[in-house]
Amino acid sequence: VSADARTANAGWEGFARRAGEQRFGAAGDAQESRGRGAVSALRQWVGVRLENELYALPIESLREVVRLRPITPMPRVPDHVLGIIALRGEMIQVIDLRRCLGLPAAQPRSGARIVVLRDRDDRAAALLVDAVTGVLRVPESDLRPPPGGESSKSVAVCRYRDVFVSLLDLDRVLGRDAA
Amino acid sequence: VATGKRNDRKAAQEFLSEAEEILERMRRDHAELEETWAEGSEPDPELVNRLFRSAHSLKGAAGMFGFETLGALAHHLEDVLDALRLGRLAGDSPAARLVGEAVALLGLLLEGLGESGSAGPADAATADLTRRIAEALASSGPAGEPLASLDLDPALAAALTEYEEHRLRENVRQGRHILVVEASFEILDFERGLTELTASAREHGELISTLPSPAGGADSEIRFALLVASGLEPEAFAARLGSASASVRCVLPRRTRSQAASGVSPRRPASPAREGQAPVESLRSLSGMVRVDIRKLDELMNLVGDLALQRAALGEMVERLLADPRTVAAGAELAKQRKLLERKIHALQTAVLNARMVPLRQVFEKLARVARQLRRELGRNVRLDLRGAETELDKLVAEELVDPLMHLVRNAFDHAIEPEPERLAAGKPAEGVIEIEARPRGNHVVISVRDDGRGIDPDRVRRRAEAAGLLWPGQTPTERELLELLFLPGFTTREDVSETSGRGVGMDVVKSNVTALGGVVELDSVPGRGTRATLTLPVTLAILQALVVRAGDQRYAIPLNSVLETHPVARAEIQRCDGRELWNLRGEALPLVRLAREFRLAAAPEPEKSHVVVLGVAEARVGLVVDALEGQQDAVIKPIQGPARGTRGIVGATDLGGRGAVLVLDAASLVEDGLRRRSAS
Repeated sequence: VSADARTANAGWEGFARRAGEQRFGAAGDAQESRGRGAVSALRQWVGVRLENELYALPIESLREVVRLRPITPMPRVPDHVLGIIALRGEMIQVIDLRRCLGLPAAQPRSGARIVVLRDRDDRAAALLVDAVTGVLRVPESDLRPPPGGESSKSVAVCRYRDVFVSLLDLDRVLGRDAA
Repeated sequence: VATGKRNDRKAAQEFLSEAEEILERMRRDHAELEETWAEGSEPDPELVNRLFRSAHSLKGAAGMFGFETLGALAHHLEDVLDALRLGRLAGDSPAARLVGEAVALLGLLLEGLGESGSAGPADAATADLTRRIAEALASSGPAGEPLASLDLDPALAAALTEYEEHRLRENVRQGRHILVVEASFEILDFERGLTELTASAREHGELISTLPSPAGGADSEIRFALLVASGLEPEAFAARLGSASASVRCVLPRRTRSQAASGVSPRRPASPAREGQAPVESLRSLSGMVRVDIRKLDELMNLVGDLALQRAALGEMVERLLADPRTVAAGAELAKQRKLLERKIHALQTAVLNARMVPLRQVFEKLARVARQLRRELGRNVRLDLRGAETELDKLVAEELVDPLMHLVRNAFDHAIEPEPERLAAGKPAEGVIEIEARPRGNHVVISVRDDGRGIDPDRVRRRAEAAGLLWPGQTPTERELLELLFLPGFTTREDVSETSGRGVGMDVVKSNVTALGGVVELDSVPGRGTRATLTLPVTLAILQALVVRAGDQRYAIPLNSVLETHPVARAEIQRCDGRELWNLRGEALPLVRLAREFRLAAAPEPEKSHVVVLGVAEARVGLVVDALEGQQDAVIKPIQGPARGTRGIVGATDLGGRGAVLVLDAASLVEDGLRRRSAS
């Protein structure tokens, strides 16, 4: 993949494609992408708060949101892996979204939530966030390239009700970006 | 150049084994497809999807390894299957009939590749078939009627995949109602509601697509739109959906039979005998066997596991009742009932475990095929003897075994068995023998892979280990410790080219696969006479008895089959000797591993009293020091999901009676690390 393809706009297209593939699947398969309308009409995001910053996750990537519960620490894992939770018999790693984004670590507070992501490569994962703020419906025209440039973990930023929101690329956040 | 060729060959082998697996799946699915076509019924859409995906993977793999002919054929087959699943082709069209031919020809091509590395005469047949497929596809009909008649939000309609459009069209053709179900859910709790709604929709119709709804809503809610086809009237469907918050809208009313029939002609004339006879025939074909998805058995297993946990909770209650004189009579009665329940649960557990068991025969057949291939490819005179094919193993364990066994057989072919002249010179029979034998041993199955090749020269291993810095000159490892080195990743690859390289390629893979199954691999060898790898595997992974221990503020479960005994120890009893902590176990020095230190748990002062759990794996012993023992429990081991993979010392996690996740320790790696440290520290 050339460096060009990693620029913000190409990244957005890539994201749109991936978001299309990663559907609330009913019957089809993953090799087929959604029709073109998917990108513009169905662009919705779930806002999450870290400290005072607002981030957003693609709505298609969400499996569920659960309250903070005891996290069993795991030995011999990178710092950003907080441990695992048991969720209806599944054992799922919880990732500290703060550390993934280079924010200082902090003790989770009472409003904290665990956002469980849909399976990718047959594996689920979960993110610890300070709060889930709600659904963001963002018109395409409001999107701007991320200021962080190539190293950014966002696909775009936007102003949402006078606040800047960073729309995250989960593959990059979780280090699953294809080389 | 020589290494390059070797790599090519290795890559080709990898491709062949992968392709064979895919092809096997395709043969099965295709047989099922032909059967449904022969019955004159519509195949399950998922069946065609699976075939399509298989052809796609095969195409991808062939492309990656540069097998062009095979790739081209897979590509054409993919096209046919794609047209089938998208409804551009009917099951009785000429092109559809070519699926069988293509699958058979793929098999021939693969066999040819295995023999000579190139497909040879099958090339011509492939060219012919791809041409016929292309022709048949060109003459196939258009995708079907447009969906303009649907009263569907354009944003939704635009978001449908071609496959979903086809399912939509197919359902229209069959005269079903097309419905849009919309519902909003609290973002913090949408999963449960959505799962219930989709499950309910599936029960009363075909769920074609689930999408976030383009219609807006409150910030705190996610709104979904489900596109559903159902034979039920919209009102009846809404009623059965049983969701007060969901709105059901009919976007295309069901047409009457005659309308449907005049709109689109049916695929094939309906056979008059079909309705009366089909059920009778399908009953007859059952013949007492039912094929069950392994996931259903997993679910059953989980339920049984939960039941076992419930039993434990009941035990605690019995204890409480018995402790109080006022309730002791009730306690005794409950204890009796609990014992009966326990017996039944145990019987249920055994029955479910038995349902998961498969004989090793299937695995052995695969190995025999690989051996045949290698024999042709390498021109080697080697016989594969298989014994104990009737030995049974859990289906999942059996599947995971294919790779390691395949590696071992390849190693024997590649490295261990000498060329014929060398064998004759050594006074051995010209034909080399690889013997694989499986036998049950209690809750384990032991599989040995033995060859009568040149064996492993320990001096050579020692020299190479010294060169690689794994041993220092003068260190005197035992023969067993030397052979252990062969399991290190990449240990022998560098001298791969040398003809006496012995074993090594992929041995680390064998070991990690077997370890992941909770098993052990051991190697032994007599130079000049042969090598034997012995795999000891648990019969099942599903339920195990675990010892629950505490270290620091964490609980851990240890599989009971690796625990030999436990002892309370006072701090003063633990001795240090030669940089290691030891404990006197009946006169023997037992090396100790402190779990808290091993896992770098928050440093707490070493307690006055702790416990030693003696772990035994094969002949090796290590004492694991923990703060407290918390009793035995049945545990269902679950894999840990997430981006961080393969944590050494952990095999998975379990939920002990709703107390949250508890990590399950990997006794084998703890013992190994504990013993290895002896020389390091």
